[in-house]
Amino acid sequence: MTTASSRGIRSVIKTGRAGRLARRALALLIGAAFVFPFYWTVVISLGRPGEFSDFPPVLLPHWDWSNWARAWHAAPWVRLFGNTVLIASSTVLLCLATSLLAGFAFGVLRFPGRKFLTMLVLAVLMMPGTVLIIPDYVLASDLHLLNTYWIQIIPWGASVFGIFLVRQFFLAIPQEILDAAALDGASRLRVLWSIGIPMVRPALVIIAVNVFLGSWNSFLWPVIMTSSSMDSSSTVQPVEVGLSTFASAEGTDFPGLAAAVTFTTLPVMAFFLVLQRQFIRGALSAAGGVRG
Amino acid sequence: MTATTTARPALATGGRRPRRRAPARDFRTTRWGWAYSAPAVLIFAAFVIVPTGYTFYVSLWKWNALNPAMSVYRGLGNYQRLFDATQPTFLSSLWHSLYFSGAMVVGGTALSLALALLLQRGGALLNASRVALFLPHATPMIATSMIWVWIFNPRFGLADWMLHSLHLPTSQWLQSSTSAMPAVIVYSLWHEVGFTTVVFLGGLAVLPNELSEAARMDGCSAWQEFWHITWHQLRPVTVFVVAITAITSLQAFTQFYQLSDGGPVYATTTLSYLVYQEAFVLSDTGYGAALAVVLFAVTVFFTLVRRRTATGADSALT
Repeated sequence: MTTASSRGIRSVIKTGRAGRLARRALALLIGAAFVFPFYWTVVISLGRPGEFSDFPPVLLPHWDWSNWARAWHAAPWVRLFGNTVLIASSTVLLCLATSLLAGFAFGVLRFPGRKFLTMLVLAVLMMPGTVLIIPDYVLASDLHLLNTYWIQIIPWGASVFGIFLVRQFFLAIPQEILDAAALDGASRLRVLWSIGIPMVRPALVIIAVNVFLGSWNSFLWPVIMTSSSMDSSSTVQPVEVGLSTFASAEGTDFPGLAAAVTFTTLPVMAFFLVLQRQFIRGALSAAGGVRG
Repeated sequence: MTATTTARPALATGGRRPRRRAPARDFRTTRWGWAYSAPAVLIFAAFVIVPTGYTFYVSLWKWNALNPAMSVYRGLGNYQRLFDATQPTFLSSLWHSLYFSGAMVVGGTALSLALALLLQRGGALLNASRVALFLPHATPMIATSMIWVWIFNPRFGLADWMLHSLHLPTSQWLQSSTSAMPAVIVYSLWHEVGFTTVVFLGGLAVLPNELSEAARMDGCSAWQEFWHITWHQLRPVTVFVVAITAITSLQAFTQFYQLSDGGPVYATTTLSYLVYQEAFVLSDTGYGAALAVVLFAVTVFFTLVRRRTATGADSALT
């Protein structure tokens, strides 16, 4: 009986207008369910003190902004935001440069050892960050790089994904275009700069948005490499680490914490929503890469 | 203009006109390739490749983090300790890692494939749902884990409120050692599934239509069409999703840190979390390094297994 009825539903879904509507309704419902936790956080952050622990939960905001004010004054958020933006943008710039150069080398140039270097870079994928955190901490400590911006930028300044994305794009360019420029006497760097970059631009955009977001959202690395000094205005910690410290200090002030969660997440959410096409293209290109 | 027309045949035929081919070859063939690769390779060498080897070295010592010169050589002592019964044990953390990764691979792949099938073939509303699904993946784990601590709260959380409204038995979620891991899995699925769904959508978008159309003409049901054709054609994408989910799950750390703190009673202490705990909280760097080496071995094992089972089509990313 169940199979008969589900087949009935399915044939409706396949053909009828009602089916299309049902599919949209289901998609809308699932989409709303995925976003609902964010909405609820905003509700808690704007609620009256003590209200958060009501059961059933409060689902509409009371527009009490005092939680926001309290949370905002409890930590050097401007400094923390500034750190995150500085670290993320520097990482992006470094990553773009290294990916462009190495992607050009692996995709266009021919040189002895190219295969070996390609394999070496691919092997990096197998080495998990959790394994590296110990030796990298020892290394950073020896080089006196703990508690600096450098240790949060340089180690993430190369991306296997970025290199291979640029390489894919170079492989897709008709060879004649680059060769023609070389025949006209342009140097390799010149070819890369004035012809290569415009042609792999979509790849660079995908790399930039993904690296920026990855850097913004990283946690284990900065929490190990920097020490917590929330009260100091000279901290080099990013905002997510600051949020975690804030949470363990003010753990019981749920509305205040919800406010902090909201205002630290809003910028990165806006960043994603403005550039969502690029993110989705990045994920799609992962699948495209699979199909070779 | 002349340059373009002369270069094309030279490259296409490969060597019949060596005189014309020479400049293009000179442009491509160069030892400077090393210099172009150097910035990326040096970063990887300094922070990934050499440190991986260094982890093995550290794992052989009772490492003194404050003064490495005071470290005591222990040989394989740290590895023997893996099988000691001190809580949390290595074997239980290994089991938790495999439990989490297995659930993420099976649940995440099935869920994202189902969602991709639901959301395929455009429309503004379906696109909006796609963005909504992807949003958690784009937001920081620290912040979203805090939200889910409240959702899972057994006193006032949304999760129990929903179960309560549906007249289902409620759960202690993160506060009980049996339901803590499922709760972390629910959170992680929420956070990760948007990305893998979009990967599947990418795979679905480039599938050739002829076979599915033929099947529909022959009167296949939607399910038969999916099972015999679409699923088969999606195989390379599925392999990729499984691999990437397995590797990220084995490495997962932030949600265990912020959501469950490895507890209660070590119920969510995975191998990754234990590495952090031993090396940076208990300052037993040598033992932490030994655990990291095991984690590395597990990751390599899964990568190799996947490569052996992968077909040629997905070699682009291996």
